[in-house]
Amino acid sequence: MKGIRRVALGMAFSFFILSLGLVYWQVVQADTLLQNPANKRLILMENRVTRGGIFDRNGEIIAQTQVLNGKKVRVTPKGEMFEPLLGYSSVQLGTSGIEGNLADRLLGIKDATAIQTVKQLFALPRQGDDVVLTLDSRLQSIAYNALKGKKGAAVAIDPRTGAVLALVSQPSFDPTNLEQNWKDIISQEDNKPLINRAFKLYPPGSVMKVVTSAALFRSGINTTDLYESTGSTVINGQTINEQNGKAFGWVNYNMALAKSCNAYFATYGVKAGDKNFLSAVKSFGFGQKIPFELYVKPSSITAVAAMPTKLDTNLLAASAFGQGQVEVTPFHMALIAAGIANQGVIMTPHIVEKVLDSAQAVVFEQKPAPWLTALSKEEAAKITSAMVTAVNDGTAAPGAIPNIQVAGKTGSAEPGGPYKTHGWYISFAPAEAPRIAVAVIVENGGTGGGAAAPIARQIMQEALSQKVGDK
Amino acid sequence: MIQRLITRMIIVGMMWLGLSLLKWEALSTQLLMQALVFTAIVLLGSLMEQILHYQGDPYILPVVQAIMAIGLVFVVRINQALPDNPGNHNIALHQFWWANIGLVVFYAILWGMQDYRKLGRLRYLWGLLAVGLLMVTLVFGSTTGGATSWLSLGGIVVQPEEFVKLALLLFMATYLEENEELLRVGTVQWGKFSLPDWRTLGPFMIMVAFILGILAAQKSLGTALVFYMLFVLMLYAVTERALYLGISLPIFLLTGTLGYQLFRHVRVRVMVWMNPWQDVAGGGYQIAQSLFAISGGKILGTGLGNGIGASTVPVAISDFVFSVIAEELGFAGAMAVLMLFLIVVLRAFAISLKTKDRFGQILAAGIGILLGTETLIILAGVTKLLPLTGITLPWVSYGGSSVIVHFILLGVLLNISNANAVSSHTTKNKGRECAT
Repeated sequence: MKGIRRVALGMAFSFFILSLGLVYWQVVQADTLLQNPANKRLILMENRVTRGGIFDRNGEIIAQTQVLNGKKVRVTPKGEMFEPLLGYSSVQLGTSGIEGNLADRLLGIKDATAIQTVKQLFALPRQGDDVVLTLDSRLQSIAYNALKGKKGAAVAIDPRTGAVLALVSQPSFDPTNLEQNWKDIISQEDNKPLINRAFKLYPPGSVMKVVTSAALFRSGINTTDLYESTGSTVINGQTINEQNGKAFGWVNYNMALAKSCNAYFATYGVKAGDKNFLSAVKSFGFGQKIPFELYVKPSSITAVAAMPTKLDTNLLAASAFGQGQVEVTPFHMALIAAGIANQGVIMTPHIVEKVLDSAQAVVFEQKPAPWLTALSKEEAAKITSAMVTAVNDGTAAPGAIPNIQVAGKTGSAEPGGPYKTHGWYISFAPAEAPRIAVAVIVENGGTGGGAAAPIARQIMQEALSQKVGDK
Repeated sequence: MIQRLITRMIIVGMMWLGLSLLKWEALSTQLLMQALVFTAIVLLGSLMEQILHYQGDPYILPVVQAIMAIGLVFVVRINQALPDNPGNHNIALHQFWWANIGLVVFYAILWGMQDYRKLGRLRYLWGLLAVGLLMVTLVFGSTTGGATSWLSLGGIVVQPEEFVKLALLLFMATYLEENEELLRVGTVQWGKFSLPDWRTLGPFMIMVAFILGILAAQKSLGTALVFYMLFVLMLYAVTERALYLGISLPIFLLTGTLGYQLFRHVRVRVMVWMNPWQDVAGGGYQIAQSLFAISGGKILGTGLGNGIGASTVPVAISDFVFSVIAEELGFAGAMAVLMLFLIVVLRAFAISLKTKDRFGQILAAGIGILLGTETLIILAGVTKLLPLTGITLPWVSYGGSSVIVHFILLGVLLNISNANAVSSHTTKNKGRECAT
């Protein structure tokens, strides 16, 4: 009888192990598996849940599910203007963008309480939550029209809150009838319309100089000291050229940034040393995951490590004016501009303003919160003043707006190979009390002043022409 | 009496509640008729138990009926999610037929079988029957899902493996009862261990090798594993010699390694088990979908009919039925089902311990071991605790052969329980008569 008892005991024990297995999958691993890209749960849930709408800050419809002839159809009245940011959600194609990342909100299954969960079991089909974005369709439309036909991205942020006001990437695609047009969209290998260029890494070129500025200040250099620009200089055997070999003569910090003097920043960058440079880029968020509703690749200093512990002199000299191996996303560059505008504090970026349930009650509301303190107030003021000079008397002149003081910085980044430079531009305005910060890149567009600054100017002009409180 | 009836009413009530939560209008009248028949059999059965003075284990049958009811609800549920083609229309209806036939067969065995000890008289014939059934399947069977385990008999497709379980169990019980002493003590000294001689062990070993060999040839790895566990655990339970467990482990590892080296499908199984995420669209699809379904259930489940597993998990209706249960009823429901099975298994052992004759003891324990290993192997498979080997979950998975064979096993088990309770009752009364 002992044998039978032991076998019975072994059976009971095995059942216990089995129940631990259930705990592991249903409790410990539940959320991880939900996020697995092969898991079609969220997409299949749509058959039962009417997906919530997506609206801009003024209540304009960006995407909404409507019932046409008994079939649910996702209507996107703005066409390709919000793509690829908006993304898509399709049983066949999977998900991307806001439609994908905010699916739990749009389907109304995030943070459901136990009572809500039980209610949901008996209330099918049900309505998902509506998401109100911080985007402004008017700014989005201006940025979209300005970039159309080019390859590039534009990001506008409210520096006081971190709210994303516009985010455009071109070329994009029309989200209606996506399944039918899919083959055509993915066959455009040069245009890559599915890629959000605002989140893509590019060499920053001279826009990096605003970041390097922080390293210069912290190494204790006197910004009024003069430096003679001769068109090129040699540091540790490496020749640093000005754009088009232009000589600027005697320049101080302000003029060096305004005229975008490479030799000045390379020389003083090397003097400041790699410790100061790396600590400055770190305080701007390089090598860090940006806290945002969508995934943004972290910006990086070298190809090997996003945040290396040291840099050799040649690489430091090149990095100081945004070449070498430095790579930044336009989105991060907009945050950097916003940080300078907001007296050195970068606010946590966000694109969701609030979430409303089907009865239009607020379920979630975003509150502004600081992300990083990149600069002290004094440092931010110094960079702002140099960026103002760049607009009034420097390379950023095409970004100027009548009657409003703009602060800006251009960049022309060499992508490597025989290609035209990427035109970069970051700016904010009004310089004395900034309400908008913008970053624009035009791939192979030439100079920042020529290609990118006019686009940023149009966006800022529209934003600032709106009265205070005008939504 | 009242209690017995109320329990059954709760069980069938549960089934009707489940069916009504699924779409009523989608259920055919035929199916509802069969559900009524099921209700009638369950309730009449409980009355009959009263009238015929059933005195066996009072827990097992209601628990199995509860498992059956849950199984029926989920077969209906999964049936609704299957693609709309003629072959799928009557799946749930068939399961109701099998459940009803199974219950009737169960009662027939419970009341009809005069003396279960007579089952032992056929001795080796049971073994030959088992081998014969498997051979016929291997030669004439049809292959589905990689395994050759179905046999078509005049329009009805049977899975002989299920019936082999019964034959094998009876063979094992007969053999072990007959040779218990020899197996326990051993007659041949081999080093420190005394082993039984070849004449005792020979027929058994040949039978085991034969049966496992045929199953391997059919690629029915799951059933082979169940049988291997059945052989080893029954041998241990009867002889109480840890030596047999000790020997079985290296044999298992050796054949396992050999199978791994020789057969591609075994390698694929193991590889998929170790990392299903590597090839989620290919080999890992089944287990990944199962885990997606299970994990989606969380604590309270998605609610009956709300899960995705029923349509995304391949063969959800048979091998993977538990994944759908765990998803739609959640951890709470899955644990409840697990507990129901544990009750059945442990009560089977309890019956074994109460039984007076050795053959009955061994047979009852064998039924407990069989039900326990089947449940453990398939549930460990769908939760990725063990490599996946497709077998049915007793009474829950779709399949006529499985349902009927498990009701036959239940009939035998409760017949043993009832017979012993009645005899002890009468002996007690007899004793009292003497005293007065």
